[in-house]
This record gives sequence, C-alpha cells and structure tokens, in this order.
Amino acid sequence: MLSRLKHWRARLLLLLAVIGPGFITANVDNDAGGIFTYSQAGAQFGYSLLWTMIPITIALIVVQEMASRLGAVTGKGLSDLIREEFGFRLTFIVMVTLIVTNFGNVVAEFAGIASSLELFGLSRYVVVPVAAFAVWLLVVRGTYASIEKIFLTASAFYVTYIIAGLIAHPDWKAAAFATVTRPEAAGIRNYGYIYMVIALVGTTIAPWMQFYLQASIVEKGITARQYAASRWDVILGCVFTDVVAWFIIVACAATLYANGHHDIGSAADAAQALRPLAGEYAYLLFAAGLFNASLFAASILPISTAYAVCEGLGFESGLDKKFREAPVFYWLYTVIIVLGAAVLLVPGLPLVYVSVLSQVANGIVLPLVLVFMLMLTNDRELMGTYTNSRRFNAIAWTTVVVMVLLTVLMLVTHR
Amino acid sequence: MSLVALSELLGAPVRGATGAVLGRVREIAIAPQDHPTRIAYLIVRTADGERVLPSAVLKSCGSTVRTADDGSAWEKYSASDGVLLLKRDLLDQQIIDVHGRKVVRVNDVELDSTPVNSHVVLSVVAVDVGARGAIRRLTKGIVPSFTLRTLLARIPPRVIPWAYVDLLETDPARRVKLKIVYEGLSKLHPADIANIVEDLPHAEREAVFETLDEEVAAEALEELDPKVQVSIVESLDSDRAADIVEEMDPDAAADLLGELPEGRSGEILNEMEPEERQEVAQLLEFGEHTAAGRMTTEFVAVGDHGIVDDAIEALRQFEGSREAVATVYLYNVAFKIVGAVPLVKLAISPATTPLSQLAEPAVTCTADTPDDDVAALFDKYNLVTLAVLDEHERLAGIITADDVITMLRHRR
Repeated sequence: MLSRLKHWRARLLLLLAVIGPGFITANVDNDAGGIFTYSQAGAQFGYSLLWTMIPITIALIVVQEMASRLGAVTGKGLSDLIREEFGFRLTFIVMVTLIVTNFGNVVAEFAGIASSLELFGLSRYVVVPVAAFAVWLLVVRGTYASIEKIFLTASAFYVTYIIAGLIAHPDWKAAAFATVTRPEAAGIRNYGYIYMVIALVGTTIAPWMQFYLQASIVEKGITARQYAASRWDVILGCVFTDVVAWFIIVACAATLYANGHHDIGSAADAAQALRPLAGEYAYLLFAAGLFNASLFAASILPISTAYAVCEGLGFESGLDKKFREAPVFYWLYTVIIVLGAAVLLVPGLPLVYVSVLSQVANGIVLPLVLVFMLMLTNDRELMGTYTNSRRFNAIAWTTVVVMVLLTVLMLVTHR
Repeated sequence: MSLVALSELLGAPVRGATGAVLGRVREIAIAPQDHPTRIAYLIVRTADGERVLPSAVLKSCGSTVRTADDGSAWEKYSASDGVLLLKRDLLDQQIIDVHGRKVVRVNDVELDSTPVNSHVVLSVVAVDVGARGAIRRLTKGIVPSFTLRTLLARIPPRVIPWAYVDLLETDPARRVKLKIVYEGLSKLHPADIANIVEDLPHAEREAVFETLDEEVAAEALEELDPKVQVSIVESLDSDRAADIVEEMDPDAAADLLGELPEGRSGEILNEMEPEERQEVAQLLEFGEHTAAGRMTTEFVAVGDHGIVDDAIEALRQFEGSREAVATVYLYNVAFKIVGAVPLVKLAISPATTPLSQLAEPAVTCTADTPDDDVAALFDKYNLVTLAVLDEHERLAGIITADDVITMLRHRR
C-alpha cells in the first residue's frame, strides 16, 4: 500500500516537474486573440471549421518541439540563431516583421482587457491606461515572476468552456464527425472562410510563441540531455491548448451559431457561450477569464518582443540592466505598451474584429518564421544529431506551403 | 594608414595588375599561429573556384581590392582548422568585451591597411558593435557607397579595440590552434567573470570553464547562481571539475556537490586530492540548511597563551579565503574555544601583547543550528564570523558574513 502511494506521489511530482515552459507557453496561447478567434469561428461557421483542429495540433506540436529543441541544443534564442546564421539584414527584416505582428497581438490583449472590464461597466478610457501602466510596472519591477503562478492557476478558467460545452448539449455526433472529415471544397472560394482558417492557425501557432518558448527553454537552462522531459511538457501543452480551443468552438457553435447569432460584435456576445453553464452570470465568468488571459499575455508579449529584437540586433537587454545601460530595450518595451494601449483609445474601435485581424497577421507571418526554424533545425553543424527527422520536415514544410497558399487564396477571393 | 570595414571588403571586386577583375572577396583569414592580428590571406571567388590571395601581393584595399599579380599563382582554397575566418567566426557572433566586461555581438570588423614598401599590410584593429556597423550592413548595396560614407561618418563609433576582444570557441581543438586562452577575461574580477558567463549559452560557458586557470575558474564559479554552477560542473569531465572544486572554498564546494546527482558528486570527490576531499566530504554530511552546512573549515585559530606575533604568523601561513581571517580564535590546552580576537585589534596592538588580553568572548553555535538562528546571531551580535563548535566544544568551522548574505538573498 505504502509503496503504491509512493509510486503515485512520484508520478505526480514527475507530472508537476514536467509543467514547464511548454505548458506555460500553451496557456498564454489562449489569449484574448485566441478566445475571440475560436469564438468567432464557432459562431460564424458552427462545427464546419472543427476539421482544422487535428492538423493544427499536429503542426503546433511539431513547431513547438522544434523551438524547444533549438533552445535546448544550442542554448541560444531564436533571434540569436537567425542573426548568427543569416546575417544582419535578414535578421533586421524578421525583427521588424516580428515587432509589427507582435504589436497587433498586444493591441488584441488590451482589447481583451478593455472588453472584459466593459462587461462590468468600466470605461475603456480608464481601464486601458491603468492596465498598461500596471503591466509595465509589473514586469520592470520584477514582480511578474512571483505572480506567474497566479496567472497559471487562473487559467483553469478554460475548463469552464469544457463544462459549458458539455452542458450545452451540442450535437456530439456532428461535432465529432466535423472534426475528422475533410473540409468541403466550396470553402476555398469563400473569403470569410479562408480568413478564419488563417486566423485559427495564426492564433494557435503564433510566431511570437516560438521566440518566447525557445527563450524560456534557454532561460531555464534545459540542455540536450535533459530534453526528453521537456518534449512531454511541449506535447501536453499543445494538446491542452487545442482541446480547450475545440471546446470553445463547440460551445459557441452550440449556443451562438445554433441560435442564428453568427457574428460576435463584442465580448458580451461571446460571453453568451457560457450561458448554459453560468446562466445569468455567464458574462461574469467570461469577463474574469478573459481579463486574466489578456493580462497574462500582455505581461509576456511586449517584454518577450523586446528581448528577441534586442538580442537579434545586438542591443543590450535584460531587466537586470539599468535604463541607461539598455536604453533600446526599455524604450522598445515601453513604446510597444504605450502605443498598443493608445490604439484602444480610438473611439468606436471594433475590439473583436481587431483581435481576430491580429491573428490573421500571425498566420500570414508564420511561414517566414517557420522557414528560418526549418533551416536552423536541419543545420547539422548547429544541431549535431538533433536535426529534424524526415517526418518533422514534411509536416513543417507542408505547414509553410499551406499557409502561403491560404494567404494567396485570401488575397484572390477578397473583393 | 586607412581604415576599411570587413563588410565593405566582402564582395568587393579584386583587380589584378592589368586592371582586370579576377574575382570577388568571400572571406578574410587570420592565422593566429603566425601573427595575432595580421591578415594572412583573402579567399577570392573566381571563375575558377575559390582561390587564396596571399596578403603579400595586396596593393590596396577598399571598395576595390588591387593586387600586384594576375592571380595565376593563387592556390586553390581548402578548408583549414587553424585559421580564423572573419566573416564566419566573427561577424554577427558574440564575443567578450573585456574592457566593458560584457558579452556583445559583432556588427562589423574594422581593418587597417598600411602601405609597407610595395604592398599593403592589412590587420584587424577593432570590432564594431554600434549603430555605424549596423547601418552599413543594412544599407550596403542599396545606398551609393559615397553617400553612405558621409552618412556613417556622422554616427559616433562604438568599437572595441582588438586587444580587448576575447573570442568564444566551443571546440577545444580549435581553441588551441587559434590560441584562444581567455587572457583578458581571466584578469577580471571573479564576480565580473561570473556576470559574463551568465550571459553565455551553455556550450560557451563550458568552453570558458575548460580554459580558465583553475583558481580563477573556482572563484568565478562561487559567484554564479547555484543552478548555473550545477549545469557547468555537470558539463565538465570529472577530472577538470575536481581540479576546479579543489580550489573552491570547502563550504561552497560542499554546497555545489550537494546539488549534484549523487553518482556525479562521488566521481568528482574521487578525483580530488585526499585532503580537500576529506574536508568537503565532511561538510557534505551535514544538512545543507544548518550551521555545519554553511560553514567553512578553513579558519585561523591559535593557542590562548600566545602573543600577537603568533597570531600574525598564523595569518601569514593561512591559505583560506580572505573573509575567514576577520577573526582569530583562541583555544586552550583541551582545544576548547575560549575567546576570539578581531583582526583590527591585532593590527593596532604591539607584537608582544598577550592574546588573552585582547580576547573577547567568542560567539558560537552548534553544528545543527538552523539557518534562521545563524542569521539571528549575526544580526544580534553584529558578527563578521561565527564559530561553529563540535560536540567537544572544539572549533569545527566558521561561518562568514558573506555566506549569510548569500543565504538570505537566495531565500527570496
């Protein structure tokens, strides 16, 4: 009996030890942009986009695994590696692109903060500046590390979507069927449909996540030898993210889409998906969860962007440095937050639309980052015996090609 | 003499004696075995493959490279381990700025070409880590080179003279061939070395610790975060790790070995000299968060009937850390601790003063005293060192104030 208990405790400890960078990244992935995109996908297209979930999960696992392997084997960040292997000019282009797309994501996080608190009747003109300042201070003061666990715990909110999905009595058969069947060919002529597919990929496999995950692996000092455990952390994180995503889509499909509510204009609309679970209080639950997710990601995105850019371009970086020692780092960080928040103050800004749009931008930029990651993970001189397997290359290159094709299709179908 | 940037030279056309273009510059090589800064040869991409252009025939170097011959005598280039290739090994890579005590990334390399007799001597003078190099790289080929030069001249340069550059090379064989010994780095304060090392990827950290002098490596290691210490020691082979651990303070060594997997710490202990091994092994047996786990066994103690001169002599003989000499402990015939003399009192007293006259009561604790109580004692008595006694009231070791500060900081 005792030995069995010990066995279980050991297992539990092992599981907890595994919860690391991969799992955290995956959780941050379900941010404001993610929640709005998945909600909109379910509301607009019902179950018919569920087929994307399995391929996206596979691609996500492959890409995240590549990022963490790169970090563990080389001990360097993604932007460092791009700089060292591809020179200054290409790095500069990638970094500018990264700043632009990440900026869009930061705007989405502030949109999440604004719209969640608007459900409580608070004005965004007050909330957003306060939140921006709070985030700035939180990170610069170094308090972020101690509250990361609070954010993580609060991420348990996502479970409510699973429960809501279960209570909403969705058509399980149809949902399951939609998940495993091929998409209808008619979709490729539909601009809105392609736009949403790109957004789904972009929000789930966001470019910034690869930089962030690799940096976390390096920061944690994980080396090639300890890498096996991290792999499980990554896989677990990816699966968790996408299970939640699936349930958000299903919950929205079963409530919003089923009732003919096909366009999510605000957070109040999106909150309706939780009605089966929380009834009148659905908006409370949704607001709390969205607020947490947005604030979590808003604390990570600007700082991880500043790190990646400064490391790639060779500027001093690090919160242990003084402002005078690392001016570019601090300015970049500050400007991303201030401008990101300032966008929200534009009167009448459609918050959900902007959030989804930022995820489309993620999807468009993804192939660029992926190509660099692919070249790096296949560099024998850099990776030694840890280069990509053929299967991984096939999956990742397919992702690149598909995303480029989808982008072209989107431009062609746009009228 | 005139300065030319590596990024200007790369891709520049090479013209022979007749003015005909023979090829374009692809790489620039230094052979550190022959000369530490002088360029040995240029690798030129010609219609007939990659050729080696020896620096002895260079006539001028700038946006065009001119040579005194027609290129027919240039040998075919074959890769060699023993040369430093400026583009591959330096451009965009990280180096240690010894003067600024940090890790920086190279944006460009500045070379100097000085006419000597009939040819020019090309040598590395500095690496550019500032905006000037960055903008030159970014706009090369887009903005006309004349405009670019006037534009760049306005940007204040941020360069590191070549003498203050320590290269990072993870391959030990290549380190030897390229004569990379981290000379500049090893002269820095151990705390600065530690700061630099923390900014490096793990393979580069390992490279530094494989190369540094053992004593310097040990001191730097002590300054590092415990987690980083462990990862570095785990990556070194046991032999080298033991050499470094031997040089560490026994308490720091014990803390470090205590964090390692048991098999690994055993291997390292086995490789150590018997004397050091015994001390560290003893410390390892105590709980980490007790006085015994924190203490060092290197201290100064003399008999209580001695005079100041005896104590000074004992200090002269002492090889342990500087922090430990702040107090000289006195023992009686039974080797029990009966008092303590602060270093200051020794310094200001005549050489013949009996130590018993200077002695103060020694503040002591037992080996199993927990961390909190140790810190409380330091606070209450404003201690610099605290004596840790064994069961016979003999001095087992001492805890120094710097250990307590480390302990308190790590707890946050």
